[in-house]
Amino acid sequence: MLVAHRLTIIPTGVSEYSQKAENVAAAVLGLHFTRSNPVRQTLGSYLAFAGIDAGYGYFAPNVPSGYKLVFELHDADGHTEYRRPSANSAAAGLRLASLLDQIGRTDSDELREYMIKELAAVIWREHPEVKTMRASLAQVVQPTIADYERGKAERYELLYAYDFSLASESAKRSGQ
Amino acid sequence: MNTLAGWRKRLTDFLFPDESDEWLTLLRLGLGLQTVLYALSLLNDWNYLFGTAGSALITRDLAEGLLALENRMVPRLGWLVAIGSHVGWQEQTVLWAVWICLLCSGLTLVLGLFSRFSAVLAWFLHLCAARSGAFVSYGVDDFMTIGLFYLMLSPLPDRYSVDCRLRKSQPRNEWLGGFFRRVLQLHLCLIYFFSGLTKCLGSGWWDGSNLWRALTHPPFNIVPPEILVRWKWFFPILGIAICLIETGYPIFIWLKKTRFIWLMAVLTMHIAIGVTMGMYLFSLIMIVLNLAAYAPGSLPPKVARPSPIPHLSPVD
Repeated sequence: MLVAHRLTIIPTGVSEYSQKAENVAAAVLGLHFTRSNPVRQTLGSYLAFAGIDAGYGYFAPNVPSGYKLVFELHDADGHTEYRRPSANSAAAGLRLASLLDQIGRTDSDELREYMIKELAAVIWREHPEVKTMRASLAQVVQPTIADYERGKAERYELLYAYDFSLASESAKRSGQ
Repeated sequence: MNTLAGWRKRLTDFLFPDESDEWLTLLRLGLGLQTVLYALSLLNDWNYLFGTAGSALITRDLAEGLLALENRMVPRLGWLVAIGSHVGWQEQTVLWAVWICLLCSGLTLVLGLFSRFSAVLAWFLHLCAARSGAFVSYGVDDFMTIGLFYLMLSPLPDRYSVDCRLRKSQPRNEWLGGFFRRVLQLHLCLIYFFSGLTKCLGSGWWDGSNLWRALTHPPFNIVPPEILVRWKWFFPILGIAICLIETGYPIFIWLKKTRFIWLMAVLTMHIAIGVTMGMYLFSLIMIVLNLAAYAPGSLPPKVARPSPIPHLSPVD
């Protein structure tokens, strides 16, 4: 899949064959059947039971960028505060990072907005005095070793921003 | 015809070797410990990670809804919550009951008490949590599922378990145990080979830049970058070594002469990941799977079989 999607150093000419190989793999796994097809359901169940439905390309072919989500909270008095989603332990912190990666990488605008809205609701529970909130999702651009030695720090590229208000509980995407 | 029969015998001997169940003891102990640590590490965040709207970081309903679209047979926490609601249990009560059962199954696995039941329970409850919390899961969950799946199918109890001592029974089906060890070995070979191959296809592992990125990537950035910079010359060597260790795993872990060296290299790599990136649970599960699959019988001949003490016959 990585080759087919041209995410590796393999020449682009190979990607056509990789696409075919990906199709064959999908057929073997029953992905060409409808979702309710018993063959697909049985194969999918076995893969899930055995834990073999996940890929094994951890940090490969290259280490992906991380994501940062910041909530800007505005109360009725005009005060502004900044909050980030947090967890109570380091183990849960790793899981939170995984969640942010999935929010950042999803192609579905609806799913991304839904998940950010869920995280906004958590912040809202902790800060009921807040009237409006802006959620900003940014990609973390890490400096290279050479850049770091020249004094450059990590920077953030804004990907999406969502405005939430308590009255409507609706999100309005305001930037990309 | 004889050649065909010969190949069939070789294949049967390879897939169903008569082996001691030491590997199963390692797998049971390791996965029991892993399950206990998994549960304890999430003690303060259990409801926060696996609850539904109103109490959770992200509602479990979303992951379960997507899972139901794809497959209706994969277990999830929602099933247990629904069962609990029939007897009047709140969602939080059910989630805590799941946590306690998971912890207990890990402890009984360590002891080897009710081994089969504990293994099935640990696999089922962990799979429920991993699938319902799909948005907050990562590699450790995949490997725990793999390990617990093989453990519950293997011929438990092993000879060092409390079960075996209580029943005073001998381990049975050694060929079946050998088969599951072989499957685990082959599975690990596939995992490392494809992980290594995919890394080889990325440019950043050859010049070491991916190591820098991984070690400075939040939340894995527990080593200060000013210390990492001092070791920058070492990153390309380490990056290439990781590619070679992983891609070469299916070959060198099988050769008797290199098995011990390769096993040590892989274990060192996972210890380093745990220490430098804070991924303790991920490192532990990989160490457990590797030790169970390859440690028994892999010590170099001099270590495994010390030369016997010469027998001195009494002098008349």
